Amino acid sequence: MQSILASWKNSKWPTHLLIIAGAFIMIYPLFWMISASFKPNTEIFRNTSLIPETFTLENYRYGWKGLSGVTFGHFFLNTFMLVAACIVGNIFSCSMAAYAFARLEFALRRVWFALMLVTMMLPFHVTIIPQYIMFNQLDMINTYWPLILPKYFAAEGFFVFLMVQFIRSIPRELDEAVKIDGGGPFMLYGYLIMPLALPAIITTTIFTFIWTWNDFFAQMLYISELKLYTVSLGLRMFLDAMGQNQWGAMFAMSTLSLIPLFVIFVFFQRYLIEGIATGSLKG
Amino acid sequence: MNPKLINVLKRNAVGYLFLSPWLLGLIGLSALPILASLYFSFTRYDMLTAPDWIGLDNYREMLLNDQKWRNSLKVTLIYVLLGVPLQLVFALSIALMLNRGIRGLRIYRAIYYVPSLFGGSVAVALLWRQLFGGEGLVNLLLRQIGLPGHNWIASPDTALYTLIVLKIWQFGAPMVIFLAALKQVPTELYEASRIDGAGRWKQFWRITLPLITPIVFFNVVMQTIQAFQAFTPAYIVSRGTGGPLDSTLFYTLYLYQKGFTHFQMGYAASMAWVLLIVIAFVTAMLFLSARKWVYYQE
Amino acid sequence: MRTRLKAFAIILLSAVFVLGLAACGGGKSSSGGSSDGSGNAGGTTQTGNSGSGGPSGGGSQETVEIRFTWWGDTARNDLYNAIVDRFEEEYPHIKVKREFGGWADYWDRLATQSAGGNAPDVVSMHQFYVADYAARGALLDLQTVIDSGELDVSLFPEAALDSGRVNGTLVMIPKGITMPGWVYHTATLDKLGIAYPDINWTYDDLIAISRQVVEKSGGTMWGTPDMGGGQLQPNFRYFVRQNGEDLYTEDGKLGFSRDTLVKWWSMWKQMRDEKLIPDAATSAEYDGVPLEQNLFVTGKVALYQIPANQIYLYEQQFPEGEIHMVRMPSLPGGQNGEYLEGAYLSITAQSKHPKEAALFINFFVNSERSLELFKVEQGSPANTDMAEFVKPLLAAPQARAVDFIQTVIPYATSAAYAPAGATEVEAAFKDNATAIAFGQKTVEQAADDFLAAANRILGQ
Repeated sequence: MQSILASWKNSKWPTHLLIIAGAFIMIYPLFWMISASFKPNTEIFRNTSLIPETFTLENYRYGWKGLSGVTFGHFFLNTFMLVAACIVGNIFSCSMAAYAFARLEFALRRVWFALMLVTMMLPFHVTIIPQYIMFNQLDMINTYWPLILPKYFAAEGFFVFLMVQFIRSIPRELDEAVKIDGGGPFMLYGYLIMPLALPAIITTTIFTFIWTWNDFFAQMLYISELKLYTVSLGLRMFLDAMGQNQWGAMFAMSTLSLIPLFVIFVFFQRYLIEGIATGSLKG
Repeated sequence: MNPKLINVLKRNAVGYLFLSPWLLGLIGLSALPILASLYFSFTRYDMLTAPDWIGLDNYREMLLNDQKWRNSLKVTLIYVLLGVPLQLVFALSIALMLNRGIRGLRIYRAIYYVPSLFGGSVAVALLWRQLFGGEGLVNLLLRQIGLPGHNWIASPDTALYTLIVLKIWQFGAPMVIFLAALKQVPTELYEASRIDGAGRWKQFWRITLPLITPIVFFNVVMQTIQAFQAFTPAYIVSRGTGGPLDSTLFYTLYLYQKGFTHFQMGYAASMAWVLLIVIAFVTAMLFLSARKWVYYQE
Repeated sequence: MRTRLKAFAIILLSAVFVLGLAACGGGKSSSGGSSDGSGNAGGTTQTGNSGSGGPSGGGSQETVEIRFTWWGDTARNDLYNAIVDRFEEEYPHIKVKREFGGWADYWDRLATQSAGGNAPDVVSMHQFYVADYAARGALLDLQTVIDSGELDVSLFPEAALDSGRVNGTLVMIPKGITMPGWVYHTATLDKLGIAYPDINWTYDDLIAISRQVVEKSGGTMWGTPDMGGGQLQPNFRYFVRQNGEDLYTEDGKLGFSRDTLVKWWSMWKQMRDEKLIPDAATSAEYDGVPLEQNLFVTGKVALYQIPANQIYLYEQQFPEGEIHMVRMPSLPGGQNGEYLEGAYLSITAQSKHPKEAALFINFFVNSERSLELFKVEQGSPANTDMAEFVKPLLAAPQARAVDFIQTVIPYATSAAYAPAGATEVEAAFKDNATAIAFGQKTVEQAADDFLAAANRILGQ
């Protein structure tokens, strides 16, 4: 009897059930969107079930065609390049700044840190105009530079702060090991902090990917040439408040655009599993 | 030269070296727009003609006369005070649940992140109407059990709360961060405590929570800062009008309307700086409180 | 430790690789390019340059690049790109860079570009925003390019040109004229057994028909949506004009009386109380939803107010029956409310190539090669010859729209444009009307509040 009770207590079934129910709530809109992408435009809002009355691939064909000979595939490529450049920028510049804030000592450190936080508190709608003017003077409008450049200068305080917190969670005793071996701050950065802050770096990668991929306003302002369009600009093309909307095509391309996001997320989150197993270090 | 001085100089040099990308960016890329926006806040600026200095008029108008401004601040405060804690509690709970090494963890983790991938997209707007609209799913269920329905998404007294539900539903980002933090907790500590007879609840309170406080703190601060600047959710419910009756008029939405729709960028800039002060104050309070409950291992 | 180092190394290497890729590839793509053209399949048949003035104006033959922007969806984008391609064929020394976006994004971008000194040359313009741009000197006085011959408006009726003037200056040219009206769906009314409204119906007719709709549908439908609030145009403006007033006076002050406002809001309150129109929450829920989901298309109301050029879009939404349009409801003994609306083209004051921009506009609104594609995309062409030219090319619903527009234009009289700050007045109007709907204010209170706010905004 005791063993049955014990196994009930340790049973993961209730949790498992909850997780599955929750998963359904999370993923329902995805199913809805996918099903809408296979319905003709006129059916999408009439038929609310997940099964299309008329199954069609026309939305995918029309959506992929894009506009004026520039296919959606082109938009995907553009966005991949943009995102890749942003990820690299963020990882390097933010980790460097975070390392400085979290581990190094230098004059005015706290002042700079506070300032960095404060820059995140100003809504971008008011800085966008002067920023636009600035980039216009530099002749960078209608290129990707206004979107990429800030990433190489740790402009996203979110990631700096994130890494700072992760680095501060690394016990200082581990630093000693490197210092005893005669390592200076650069060794410390390269051999200890960076690898151990991997979860933070992975998180940065994932979020930079997703947020840049989904970003709209900045891309809309700075990019006006069709050949340079990104996925989010392309998706907006299908809707027009004043006229017709190509819902089916939009949902079809939205579905496609979620795939890379999903893949990146699933691929990189494996590395989130590895944390500090201090046992392996002691040896 | 004094060896101590050399050391101090060396340390500063290294520090600033690592800090240089950020510092350069601050001076070269960010400083000008930020200072420009401060300047605009003291002007009347319609974007099409040059700014016109008017001193503190914008601030005076805003703080003394602008009913909509006060309302938007209230809406945003409710959103922050309710939305952030609820979302984080949810995110942490799900993270803990997913951390238990159940089978198919990876898939579930990805699935639970899906809502956040949608952001403020059209699909979510449609879905929210289908759920919370006058003839939505929620009302259908309520009527089944005999309760009266209500137009949740279009009534001034409930519209904002549907957006808070939306925020909670999109807990993916803090959840992922919590998961990363949970994985950093050394498993030996759990082993050791189980040998000492500690149950799951105790393990959570004595081991898990204290060790992840730096990340909890991070999430609280970041979610607060971001929630104060919430913008896209308003489009889900009111298509950018802030309705019904300004019940979803987020502060930055009103700011955007003032700036871009009404061509009053100067006023919008002054709104932005007032918001900055509010957020800075709240964040400073959070940082002060951190000394009491955040535990760093360094 | 090793696996972690390896993971880190992998990331490092891939990062370097990707950085190299980005630097060589997309990152540096600068604008200096030309347009994408795919619409050249139409052949090179050079049909006569009807009214296009020829490539004589504009002097030098070295390549000039102008930028043209518009709002629209994919269908319109394809259409406009084809028209622009044809223009480039005819004027090989002018290259046109195209930019487009959705309605809301269009205006955000235009404002930002103007602020940044980067405004396009030819911009699509609309009544809603023209006063703001014109009053701040952002638009070129088109009379200059008419006088120098690049832009020919000889075949434009005076009323059409007049609709493009702000404070006496001609700042925009219509690409398409449209008029608003009320529509009904023949099949729906047939099923309910209700007679179609007459083209010259009145507000009382509107209320009467709404009552019939509610009754005969057993309460499942409303008569019309709540048109008491929302934007000032066209519904309220027509009412105001029918009462002999107008929204604004020539010198930028409010042009209607408290009395008129109270009458208007009271009428809609009465309809709301009688449940002839949706309740406040439902109206809020459907406010601004896309066409496919609005109250009319989803069968919740029997009458709807739309601009004539959208008739064919609505007809597509129904499996059977037709969409017919009647005039805006009239006031017995009142004046005609009609005034011209449409979609326009302007040249920005910042443009460095006004002559080439004018040639482009000229081609767009006057040439057969353009109108053959444009037809009635954003309304009936203003050029009277072209309006006749496109008629045989139209499908039934669009022909119906053009007929309606032609029928109603003779009633149109001039209409002063809103002064700068009008968008705020609109917001005050909408807010107060919504407050009445939700029962938070009485009609009298709301009227007083609105007038106070509007007068303050307009600087009285």
